[in-house]
Amino acid sequence: MTPLQNKVAELFDNGTISLMIGFKSTNNKLPVPFFFESTSGVEELIFTPECKGNLAVYLHKPEVKQAKKIGLLANIATLRSLVQLTSENQLSDIEKTVITINTQNEVVVFENMEELEAYVQANFPEYTEEDKKLLEQLNAMTRAERWQYWTDQFSACVKCYACRAVCPMCYCSSCTVECNQPQWIKVSSETTGNLEWHTTRAMHLAGRCINCGECGRICPVGIPVHLLTAQMNLDIEKEFGAKTGFSCTSGYALNTFKPGDKEQFIK
Amino acid sequence: MSEQFEPKIVAFVCNWCTYAGADLAGTSRTKYATNVSIIRFPCTGRIDFMLLMKAFENGADGIIVSGCHPNDCHYTSGNFHARRRWMVFRSLLDFMGFDTDRITFSWVSAAEGTKWANLVNDTTEKIREKGAFTEFKNLDYSNFEKINNDAITE
Amino acid sequence: MEIKNIKSSDIPAFFDQLIKSGKVVIAPVLKKSGKVFFEAVQSYNQVATDYIQTGFSAKSVVFPKVEVLFSFHKTEEGIEIKDSITNIPETVVWGLRPCDGSAFNYMTEFFLRENPDAYYAARKDKTTLIAVSCAKADEACFCTSVDLNPGSTSGSDILLTLMGEDTYVEVMTDKGKAAIDTSTSLFTVSEEKNKEEYLAKIDVRFSMDEIKEKIKTSYDSAEWKNESMGCFGCGACAFSCPTCTCFDIQDEGTQNKGLRLRCWDACGFGLFTKHNSGHNPRKNQTERRRQRLMHKFKYSVENLGIVSCVGCGRCIRVCPAHLNIFENILSVTK
Repeated sequence: MTPLQNKVAELFDNGTISLMIGFKSTNNKLPVPFFFESTSGVEELIFTPECKGNLAVYLHKPEVKQAKKIGLLANIATLRSLVQLTSENQLSDIEKTVITINTQNEVVVFENMEELEAYVQANFPEYTEEDKKLLEQLNAMTRAERWQYWTDQFSACVKCYACRAVCPMCYCSSCTVECNQPQWIKVSSETTGNLEWHTTRAMHLAGRCINCGECGRICPVGIPVHLLTAQMNLDIEKEFGAKTGFSCTSGYALNTFKPGDKEQFIK
Repeated sequence: MSEQFEPKIVAFVCNWCTYAGADLAGTSRTKYATNVSIIRFPCTGRIDFMLLMKAFENGADGIIVSGCHPNDCHYTSGNFHARRRWMVFRSLLDFMGFDTDRITFSWVSAAEGTKWANLVNDTTEKIREKGAFTEFKNLDYSNFEKINNDAITE
Repeated sequence: MEIKNIKSSDIPAFFDQLIKSGKVVIAPVLKKSGKVFFEAVQSYNQVATDYIQTGFSAKSVVFPKVEVLFSFHKTEEGIEIKDSITNIPETVVWGLRPCDGSAFNYMTEFFLRENPDAYYAARKDKTTLIAVSCAKADEACFCTSVDLNPGSTSGSDILLTLMGEDTYVEVMTDKGKAAIDTSTSLFTVSEEKNKEEYLAKIDVRFSMDEIKEKIKTSYDSAEWKNESMGCFGCGACAFSCPTCTCFDIQDEGTQNKGLRLRCWDACGFGLFTKHNSGHNPRKNQTERRRQRLMHKFKYSVENLGIVSCVGCGRCIRVCPAHLNIFENILSVTK
């Protein structure tokens, strides 16, 4: 058994966890989220670089919340999600044990959120090179070229809402797309309606998204939707000094304000 | 003589300052462009960015969003929240390539009837020069849907 | 069935002739994202050839993601309703995989049995399906487990199998013949050949007959919960699937003018079965995922006599959690 598997077996044995959320391998070599409730599942548990999913999203699942003590395998993106969710008071009803593998390949079990927060702040990730390049390219385009780019992308969107489903920060029990009196977001998939959806999603996540990039990675038609919130976060950090997924006690940029906020465009 | 393009402007205003200011412009018999339709909110803090998008979708060529000056909000801090929201929304619109100059933001107090009139006049002229907002009408369904769905015209 | 041969180097000419003859040709195109999708094209050089499977199926040719059923317009005289199933162009779908071709059998049965769907009928009538055999497959493919194979002619009008310098052409229907007739000089008569060595080798994951038996008693299996825990309830699998036909009807417009639309829907969504009263017969994701798999492997067999899964593997590839439908089925029928 790997050190990780040993550690998780130990946590089950001493009653620290009753449900473990991690990854396991499958026939087609893509790891799937793996939920197990005893040491008998431990030998299938893996944590390889291919395990890209952000497992924090499962903490909102009713079936998971029912478990008394949850163990969660976390990469740096998941850790940031946990910090952000804590700052939004979404994890106070969950008893969790968070496990990661650090840069020295050691298994780390966090004692509490303070330790987790400190780890996140010490290992705070940058945007990926690929994303930095894409954002640069987009910002270098003229406005008209950007409009062409995004409307082309949105014409392919099929409104599967995978981007919403996979995001740990999208936890509203009644999403704005589900409101039909009035129908704020059209059900049908056509470019204007798709633009409405992605604008709404970006605004509802601005200042909350922790840039795990999952939404863009899993979009079945390949739209880089993660760039919308990535750009928003850069702007919010510049204007208001707020970094997402950094501190368990930071506020949310859009529900606070400073009387001294400055802008150039209000007449 | 060809007909001048008359832009449709929608104004989202707060009840306590800008709406009162517009009222003052009226009682003072100030003449100003009639292109604007005013929607009254209790506070700019109540204005959701989706409303602005819906206005463009339903035929608006330009938008005015206006409320109390900072520190003068009837509900103390609604306009501070609105200011942050607009900063972020504008940034998103610009990133998506939307023409943010079609939305004019301003602070107009209850005593600024003239400012309101000038704001409407200036915005109307600016939008008239830009022309009708057709970007949403120009978007259509993806390529083979378009071929197969020729009933989707307007 | 007619068997013909065309020089592989003449395929582009055949393709371009289909376009010249006035048909709309939908073919796989490589997008900037690296994924391949079906799109209308103008020439063969836009067509992607080196890929295993397209991201989404070609079902949108006969079942668009948004379809206008009719438009309505209130005038002084009353309400004017305009039907929209007119002027559907002659369409060719090029580059389907054999699994996708077979999927049309299910869709035709679903839409045209009992109360024929005029919209599907009108589009299918104008559509010719030219499939291409699979020389390659990946770990998500499992057509050989659902009684199909990478060289199956089921459902298509023409099947092309690349055999080096020659391409083996199987023409199954009159529509296929009509397509061949746009370039008769390029085709020669051929004798029957064995396609086996030119087809991908795909491991059989399960026996469909066995599954059909076992699934009759799997409704209450405790494994459903484990196999569904990773599911987020998005619509990616249903939308990419060549046989998923569920839809939602929406009216868009104002009280005076608008369109009635038919849009893709997915049984994975929480709202799919939610009643106005608030009651939801499938109240958690386990029940919804169970419904999806039971529908594919049991209910459509009972109702229409067809397994509504063709083993294309798209659901596995697009799933954000990489859930694997055949592993799930094996697990719940253990």
